[in-house]
Amino acid sequence: MARMNEDGQWIVLMGLLVAVALFFLALIVNQSALVGQTTAEGVLEFPKNDIRDLREAVFDYVRDYEALRNNGYDDDVKNDVIAISLERKNAVVNFAVGEKRDVSGRDLRPVEIHYNNGVTEYDETVYY
Amino acid sequence: MVNDTGQLYTMEGVAAGLIMLLTAYIVISTTSIYTTGDTHIPDMQLEQLGSDVLAMMDTPNSVGGKNQLVEFVNENSGNDFKETFLKYCNARTSGDDDNLHMSANVTYRDVSHGNEIKEHQFVKPPNDGSWTGRESAVRVTRWVQLDYQNPPSRDPYGSRAQAVLVEVLLWRA
Repeated sequence: MARMNEDGQWIVLMGLLVAVALFFLALIVNQSALVGQTTAEGVLEFPKNDIRDLREAVFDYVRDYEALRNNGYDDDVKNDVIAISLERKNAVVNFAVGEKRDVSGRDLRPVEIHYNNGVTEYDETVYY
Repeated sequence: MVNDTGQLYTMEGVAAGLIMLLTAYIVISTTSIYTTGDTHIPDMQLEQLGSDVLAMMDTPNSVGGKNQLVEFVNENSGNDFKETFLKYCNARTSGDDDNLHMSANVTYRDVSHGNEIKEHQFVKPPNDGSWTGRESAVRVTRWVQLDYQNPPSRDPYGSRAQAVLVEVLLWRA
């Protein structure tokens, strides 16, 4: 130790900087794997197709609403959607169809759609 | 005996030690979660394909035209449904057909038996011995609204107007 001198400190310092840089690069690689996993899980868990499917079903229902109501089937079809959603999709679903009203010169029905599967909640009011 | 020369070397040694320790920690913690992110991507694609095919079958060809999916459910023609579904799945411009298989069932509510939710097997899984029960299948669904039908009623749903859920299990073999 007695013969140690302090030449070449720049080299030592640069070595330290490179090591720190490598450390941060490793950190980024580590996080990217984690980010990829959580993103894929998030996409899979999000019930995009379930919600689209429900909206289509509700719109089909509203389209035939008058015929269904005249024949007394409106509650039956609605209860089908609610009960089967709970049984097969683990989702609490409800929708309500209001009376026709004037919307920018067109007679449309207000439709409320609610969807909740415990993770994702979706509420919409739409005129159809 | 003790002097203070070479302090920089000591500091460097400590820094290098810390860096190596942290790097080793990162490397070890990284490897365990390497592939989970992308194993689900083919599943996501297959799910989207099946969902699109069902949406296509649920759309009439023209205004006021016939809706294929409703027809198949109404007539309980599972084989036609299967053929059409797989044909649309393989509607591509070139290349061999994808080796896809499917089974399907229809969930309905039976009001005459205490509002029980029942399942009707619409398309059976293949019985050529290829079915193992461990297929990596995805589930795609579509609501179908059936109009009132005069008796004789369609089995097993009954003649009332109702909404049923078509569920397709789709897998690549």
